[in-house]
Amino acid sequence: MPDQTAGRHADTPANEQAAWRRSARLTINGADYTVDVETRATLLDTLRDELGLTGAKLGCDMGQCGACTVLVDGAPMYGCLLLTIEQEGRAITTIEGLAAAGELDPIQRVMIEQDALQCGFCTSGQALAMKALFDHEPHPSDEEIDRALAGNLCRCGAYVKLRAAARSLAGR
Amino acid sequence: MRAFEHRAVSSAEEAVAALQSDTAGASCLIAGGADLLSLMKADLAAPTRIIDLKPAHALRGVTLAPDGSTRIGALTTLAEIERHAALAERLPILPAAVRDAATPQLRNMATVGGNLMQRNRCWYFRGPYDCWLKGGQQCFARDGQNKYSAIFDDGPCVAVHPSDLAPALLALEATVEVVGPAGQRALTLPALISAPTAARRRETTLPANEVIVAINIPAQPAGARGVYLKLMDRQAWAYALVSAAAQMTLVDGRVARARLALGGVANAPRRAQAAEALLEGQSLTPELAALAAERAVEGVQPLAHNGYKVQMARELARRAILEAAGMQW
Amino acid sequence: MPIRIVTTRVEFEGVVYEQRVVMEGDEPEVWGADAELRVVGKPIPRVDGRERATGAAQYSYDMLLPGLLVTAGLRSPHPHARIARVDTARAEAAPGVRAVYTRFNTPDLVHPASGRPIFAEEVVHQGQEVAIALAETRQQAIEALRLITVEYEPLPFVVDPEAAIAPDAPRVYSERERNQISDEFPKTYERGDVAAGFAEAEVITETRFTTAANLHNSLETHGGVAQWDGHTLTLWSSTQDIFGARQQIANALKLHQNQVHVIKRYMGGGFGSKIGAGNAGIIAAWAAQKLGRPVKYMFSREEENLAAGYREPTAQSYRLGAKRDGTLTALELRSLGNLGAWGGWYPPVSLPAKEMYLCPNVRTVDTGALTNLGTFASFRAPGVVEGISGLEVALDDLARALHMDPLALRRKNYAPHYQVLDQPYAVKTLLTAYDQAAERIDWASRDAEERRYPRGRASTLRRGVGMASQLWGGDGGPPAQAIAKVLPDGSAVIMTGTQDIGTGTRTVLSQIASEELGIPMSAIRVELGETEFGVFSPASGGSMTLASVGPAVRMAALAARREMLEIISHLAEAPVDALDVREGVIVNRETGKDMDSIGSYLSLLEGHEVTARGMRGPNADGVIVRTFGVQFAEVEVDIATGVTRVLRIVAAHDCGRIVNPLTFSSQIEGGIIQGLGMALFEQRIVDERLGVSVNPNLGDYKVPTIRDIPQIEIISVGAANELANTIGALGAGEPPIIPTAGAIANAVAHAIGRPVTGLPLTPDRVLALLNDH
Repeated sequence: MPDQTAGRHADTPANEQAAWRRSARLTINGADYTVDVETRATLLDTLRDELGLTGAKLGCDMGQCGACTVLVDGAPMYGCLLLTIEQEGRAITTIEGLAAAGELDPIQRVMIEQDALQCGFCTSGQALAMKALFDHEPHPSDEEIDRALAGNLCRCGAYVKLRAAARSLAGR
Repeated sequence: MRAFEHRAVSSAEEAVAALQSDTAGASCLIAGGADLLSLMKADLAAPTRIIDLKPAHALRGVTLAPDGSTRIGALTTLAEIERHAALAERLPILPAAVRDAATPQLRNMATVGGNLMQRNRCWYFRGPYDCWLKGGQQCFARDGQNKYSAIFDDGPCVAVHPSDLAPALLALEATVEVVGPAGQRALTLPALISAPTAARRRETTLPANEVIVAINIPAQPAGARGVYLKLMDRQAWAYALVSAAAQMTLVDGRVARARLALGGVANAPRRAQAAEALLEGQSLTPELAALAAERAVEGVQPLAHNGYKVQMARELARRAILEAAGMQW
Repeated sequence: MPIRIVTTRVEFEGVVYEQRVVMEGDEPEVWGADAELRVVGKPIPRVDGRERATGAAQYSYDMLLPGLLVTAGLRSPHPHARIARVDTARAEAAPGVRAVYTRFNTPDLVHPASGRPIFAEEVVHQGQEVAIALAETRQQAIEALRLITVEYEPLPFVVDPEAAIAPDAPRVYSERERNQISDEFPKTYERGDVAAGFAEAEVITETRFTTAANLHNSLETHGGVAQWDGHTLTLWSSTQDIFGARQQIANALKLHQNQVHVIKRYMGGGFGSKIGAGNAGIIAAWAAQKLGRPVKYMFSREEENLAAGYREPTAQSYRLGAKRDGTLTALELRSLGNLGAWGGWYPPVSLPAKEMYLCPNVRTVDTGALTNLGTFASFRAPGVVEGISGLEVALDDLARALHMDPLALRRKNYAPHYQVLDQPYAVKTLLTAYDQAAERIDWASRDAEERRYPRGRASTLRRGVGMASQLWGGDGGPPAQAIAKVLPDGSAVIMTGTQDIGTGTRTVLSQIASEELGIPMSAIRVELGETEFGVFSPASGGSMTLASVGPAVRMAALAARREMLEIISHLAEAPVDALDVREGVIVNRETGKDMDSIGSYLSLLEGHEVTARGMRGPNADGVIVRTFGVQFAEVEVDIATGVTRVLRIVAAHDCGRIVNPLTFSSQIEGGIIQGLGMALFEQRIVDERLGVSVNPNLGDYKVPTIRDIPQIEIISVGAANELANTIGALGAGEPPIIPTAGAIANAVAHAIGRPVTGLPLTPDRVLALLNDH
């Protein structure tokens, strides 16, 4: 195997470094934040490391697990594959914004009642994926439920209870 | 991920100008970003400047022209295609193709243009291996772990194009509208996505200073029906092992026009023209469909671990032909 | 209280250990099967559900500390190489980078289990530590790795276990003569006369079966955050074993154990791979000391999948001899496990062959091969999952040869007692489980035309039903301790040193405490996951937690209740025997009337907290405690594409008393789902030319999604296991994963009418089975 460790590209000169940072105005859970971040900062890193919103989890950093799911203008997306500076003007919802003023969202309440969580690491993402589903379709079919949650891996296997929670929310 | 400079543009023309001004050629467009950021995190792409096309709102949306043709802006997301009721009515093959692509999250992010331009998913390409496509001497998959690799041998690289949308667009004979310094031009899908060559170690042909603006789909014959079938090794969140897109027009039980494309089998989505030729003008029977499916896999050269794909491709082609014709398989 | 030292038998991950433990006082009488309990046995939602559902729960990865440095690891791309030179100058000069460590500046950093340097001169597998960079941000640390230049001198390697044990194979460690995990191997077990058993057989079948390397892929990777305060270290570790982690850190850094405080309040999955502190925890603790700043090191997903372990792949060769009526006369198993570069032990792959079915003549030979791959790690019922899968497939092969119903063959060879030691089982309800589950899946109609060919014979869809049995320990054992405190306001705190790894430990312990204290769960807080409390509990593994810690909590709560009532009897001037407590209120037994709340009495005192201790007592002698169960799977195979879907699983398990049916069923479902992944998708794929894994990520290593999940029906067969422990409950973490893959494999074989030879049953493998004439 060839030696890859030397790196394939030259480094960019230090005098360009000013262009690598930017301040960005973000709207997260209804509140405005101004952050000074690197252009390469992902929304997930900004939420977690800059703003202390650690409900979104880093599970793979490659959009292959779903633990970093957040809502962007109501649509679920992977925070690890979004650049922070591109999120200006969009409304971000994280798990911390779901229980407004300490009152659990019905989704969270039912997930707890039905035990639709085990270790809890994927739970934030599952709850937000479910939120997007029910905002869009209050009475989803079983197939729609499965399709809506197909982008959130749960290694503990809470899927049966996640289905039960979603069915309960759908009035079944 | 390496550091980069970031700028946003509000039109394709502005993007072309920005790309053009970068004499070093180290700029890169970003739309949904799902693939680009994955590549950058793996250090497979290292642009020094990223040009954000998302504010170019004119590039987003689906237009159903009265003449039957359809235009899909390059920034239209896969989710928008999935949910577009009028598009589903006119070209049901498209929502069918994106429905099982990736995940809801990725379909919300991923754009049509980015979907066509995404890099392949071969683990040697994505991993720390100096493979041929990255400028190295050899294709590691060819004699290595190649269960997901191509069964048609089109060149040194055996990676398959991962898009679900592309085989469907190929079956619709869509063209890709691009703008560049010299203005606008249209490419066929095979002209955009094609087997890498020694001179172009890349899955796509688009020069660095051109931008995809839209996909144009010609009017389909009256009564044309399309299906997209996909096999995965789990039931969601997997690239196609093999996929088949068929767009069939039957008149009185006779095949007036057949378009069949396979995904997951070659460097690019593959039109099965021999199969189409066999079908056209004939009355469709299960036997004919099976024969056509056999044609669709003629010339395969499977590798050590992907022989199963031949059987899959043949079966999926047969099913797609029959299903698009409204017949049971 | 008088102290005793007791020698008792404790089983962990299928291996029995004799251990000496301290006992203090006497355990209460067991809650029998007919005990009337108010809280235990109820489907109560998790007490920490809110924290988990709102994002408030803090995982190790979530610790944000002022001045925190973040670590990224550079790992060997080679399966075997000597590290000749490392140039870190550019990395050290990069923005935000505070330190880079390699083997050249970490002379004192040794792995406590292997005794080898963590940063070795000779790397023996892809993914082994070569260097780490510590920087102000995660991005800066990752970027620094690219600026490190390593000069490797590649060495000969071997990754195939068969090749590894050949005499002329390249050796993983040059100082070792063979690539076997220890001199004990190959390890033989024998009972009866195997040759005579085969001579007596009327039918002999041979089955070769392979299982793949399954990666745990806990969503939270391995690692921790370390912070020093003077001479004291706090490590927030993603571990299933805080006390083990404490000991490892103390050993590795040459500290007193009282200088190390390990915390794990919430964990994003471990599944057996997180016993101890792990290299990441040791590195973080060491670097934090060196740099005088808090340090975080959590593995990337790729590091996790290259260096944090996996279920060892096995090749199992069975030879079964039987009479025409199905009676087993001889059973032979040769198992070969690929344990990677270290190993340490070989999981009990041969345990089911020795024990599951009645057979007088048994020989098993286990070979544990070392290879140039990352080291395996315990994975939910290690060994037994692999062994049951192979054995149950072999049983079905025998059933086919005998033209016998597979379930009837199992019944015929039912083992009523523990054959290895010739001792009785405490409880074995497996025949009941067979009956109930077979009826639920409608086993009798499994060969019916309309069931096997749901769309007719012309369609490519075939359905099949298969089954597999389960056995496992799960009775736990000492040592495990707990403290129960009743505070002046009548609320209570339970303190133990166990961990809640996502199974619902806090909740079931709260139920047990509430039952005995008479205090509602809403007024009980369970504190766990911190070594600082000083009450020892075992690792959360081996389905040990509830059966070990539960009785300790019960004993502590009972003692606290006694003390509390005694105090109140003085304050209320009532005889203690006349007092009872319900829902936090003191009740006069004689009049049946409510008196006052606990708090209203205790608050009369000057700040007295009732404090009592409880301990898990020794295990019963002369009897073997096991969980048993069976799963039936119904699958649908498209024989034209090889794509398999699992339609339905019926699972009947006896795990003793069910303390909480809600969290119990979650454990069962979770085990089944991981078993389904193992059956259909999950496999590490190794390029043998390069000696590397090509799919160390969640894209190419496929775990089940919600869309892959069948209908799952659970039957709880058991009742309180009165010989197991004072709560009568056994662990339920591991039993459910054990039979799933075997049941699915047998269902696929039934569907396609061909024997299956290995896992996972990916479409390419199924098509190969169908095409193999």
